[in-house]
This record gives sequence, C-alpha cells and structure tokens, in this order.
Amino acid sequence: MVMDYKRGGTDAQQYVWGGAIPLQIHLHDSEVTTLPPPPPALILAPRLGYLPLLVPQIKPFFSSSLPPGVDTVWFEYRGLPLKWYIPTGALFDLLCAEPERPWNLTIHFRGYPGNMLPPCEGEDSVKWSFINALKEAAYIINGNCKNIMNMSQSDQAELWRSVLNGQLEAYLRVSSKLKLDIVGDDFAFKLNSTTSHSRQSTTDLDTTGTIRTGRIPVRLYIRTIDEDIDGLEDAPIVDSWEKISYINRPVEVHNEGKCFTLYDAIKTLLPELFKDEPSVDSNTCEAEVKGGQNSNEGSSKSTEERGEAQTERAGLPSDSAEIKLIRIQGIEPQLEIPFGWVVNNLMNPEYYLHICIYVKVLEPITI
Amino acid sequence: MASETRKVVVHLRATGDAPILKQAKFKIAGADKFVKVIEFLCRQLHRETLFVYVNSAFSPNPDELVIDLYNNFGFDGKLVVNYACSMAWG
Repeated sequence: MVMDYKRGGTDAQQYVWGGAIPLQIHLHDSEVTTLPPPPPALILAPRLGYLPLLVPQIKPFFSSSLPPGVDTVWFEYRGLPLKWYIPTGALFDLLCAEPERPWNLTIHFRGYPGNMLPPCEGEDSVKWSFINALKEAAYIINGNCKNIMNMSQSDQAELWRSVLNGQLEAYLRVSSKLKLDIVGDDFAFKLNSTTSHSRQSTTDLDTTGTIRTGRIPVRLYIRTIDEDIDGLEDAPIVDSWEKISYINRPVEVHNEGKCFTLYDAIKTLLPELFKDEPSVDSNTCEAEVKGGQNSNEGSSKSTEERGEAQTERAGLPSDSAEIKLIRIQGIEPQLEIPFGWVVNNLMNPEYYLHICIYVKVLEPITI
Repeated sequence: MASETRKVVVHLRATGDAPILKQAKFKIAGADKFVKVIEFLCRQLHRETLFVYVNSAFSPNPDELVIDLYNNFGFDGKLVVNYACSMAWG
C-alpha cells in the first residue's frame, strides 16, 4: 500500500471513505396504501455513514404511499430492527455473512420499536451520538475528552459536515486539531522495521521514534454461529441483537520494539479463543523483546492476569470455539498486518475501530 | 460463569437541576447493559427522558456492557454516572 498524504490521507483511507454499500430499500407492506405498491428505492450508503442520514433521500420515493401519521423512521433487515448508531458499514459486515448486493433493507415510517431502539430524531440524534462516541474514544486515548469539549462550534460543525459528506480532506484538517494521534506513523514504521512480517518499505523510518503506550478504542461485534455449517453463506440469520456480543475494550499497544500485529490485538481482546494454540507468533515476539530487554517478566505476568480477567468478563466459551472470519471495513485482513496500520487506515471518523468477528461454537452457549 | 455474577458499583450523581437520589450508590451486574442504568434512573425520577453521562464527559451507547464501562472508565472501585434533566455536556 502506497502512502500518499498529498491528496489528503493514505490510499487506504481514501478507499474506506469512498466505500459505499448499494442498498435496495423496500417500504414495509403494512405501510403501503397505494396500488401498485411503490418500487424499491436504490441508493448508495456510505460505509462510514449512518442509516438515518439517508432518510431525506429515501423519503421522496415513498411519501405518496404512506398512511397518515407522523414519521418515526427505522430500518429492518430480515426482521431485525437495525441500530441506527452503528455505522452502516459495520452493520453490513456483521449481518451479511455473504455480502449481499444490493443489500435489501426494509424501511418503516411508522411504529417505532422504542423498546428495542433508542429514539432517533434524524440527523441531530446521529450527530449527538457521533460526538459522544468521539468523546468516549478521546477519553480512552487521553484519559479525558477536553480536546473535544473545547472544540469551537465552527470546528465541531465542520467536523460533522465532513463526516456527513464523506470529505476525508476536510475531516483530516479539523480532526488533526484534536491531537488524538493514537499510533503515529513513526510507530507503525518502527513496528515494521522490527518485525519479520515487514510488508512495507522502511525507508522513511524515524529511528528516534519516541516510546509511547497507546490505547486504541475498539468496538467489537461478535456473531456466534452455533450450527455446523459448510460455508458462511449458510449462517443462520440474526433475528435478535441478543445473538451479538458487543464488546468495548481498548487494545493497549506498548511500543517496546516488538511486533504488534492484528493477530496480537485480537488475541488481547479475546484470549479465550486462542488457548489451545501454540502461538508461535507471540513466542517469537517475546524472544525478540527478551533480546532487547533484560527483564520481561513483569509485563508478561500482567498480560496473563489481564487474560484471566477477560475470560471471566467476556463470558464466551473457551473450548470448541473457533474464529471463522474477521472483517474490518468490508475487508478480511491478514492477521500479520501491523495493528498500527490497521488502526490508522481502517478506523471510523469517531476514532473507533469497528471489528466484526464470526465465531463458530459447537456447544450451545449463553451470553 | 463468573461474569454473570460480577457486580459493579455505580455512583449516581445529579447534575444541574436534577433531583438527588436518596441512595446514590448501587450495585449492578457487569453483564448488564448501560440501558439498565438509564431505565433505573428514569423510573426513580419519574421521567421519560434523561441525559446520562459517564465521568461528566460523554453518554455511552445504551447497549455497552456495564463491565466494559467500568474497566475503561471506572476508578476507585466504582463507575461514576451523572444524570441531568437537560443536556449537560453537549
């Protein structure tokens, strides 16, 4: 992947910001009052966007067919009301095991399922949710969210507009003021230089890269498949959000000169899924670290302790569970990619990395 | 599993003109979602809507797990939750 900052962002960032999912939207039968019923609406939904933001574009297709009443718009996929505050790309990656194009969604203008979804007043609600997620991410990165709180009204408006309109360059201009560099590129390059998995040129390496610890905000969506299936296209549909584990847990990256890959990050997040593996990768890393440092005992102990706490916390089974798929921004990335690269290029504009994981579990579980 | 039984102490703090609760601290299962805290507050204060924050800073998603919030933002063995009748921190 060629880094090119001149055009505003890396190539990968531009792909992510330009990414969109073709939607085919049907009006729910119960709200059709005309004959013939209105044809479905075809529309492109930005990956980084949110479904309610599309309503002004969709409404004209159906407005003449609707029964009288006040609009309370919500979307549904195969019986599942869609959470409007999850980015559209993450919803698609999570709910369409086998990507469906166009993605057939049902829109409702009436009968909001208030017992399942928090109320949504259109763009204002989405903006509020976005800013709060940004503050939450900032809190994870910096230990406070002063930088967001102290943002000028005009900067906040510009930031939101850049997200709303999918303008990466404008976004980078405003977001750089927030000083939320979680893992600088020096960090990413430093990682590359010390790992055998090096995939990028290290000519720009800044060897004086400062040692820092990064906490990276991650939203993890785990879809468990408890049936024996041949391919993911046979995965049973998700008819309830109870079937998705939603875990918010930062990944701590210690810049100790050892490789920290996507594999390492997933292992930190879900240690119980890696128990039986000999974990050649991490042993190699540890050996490297030991070569450079005299004592590694303290840090490895704390990792173990944390691992135990997580197993207890996540409530996922430790045996007979197997990761079938990891999807980020519609990509199934190779696990040896440096995590710094993944974060810098694939995170959403609210500084969260949204990771969808499909786990196959052969025993029935309760979460 | 242990996660089912692990409890988190939530410290409720009124902000602005919101009434103060008689009992400011209570325990909630870590496996519960944040929406449970919101619903509890709405019931206690007989209000349909409330603005609920963590650490006077941000409003989490209603479906974030209480244990995640505690691990990420808790301190001194508790999770501080602020509530207000009108929007307090944007």
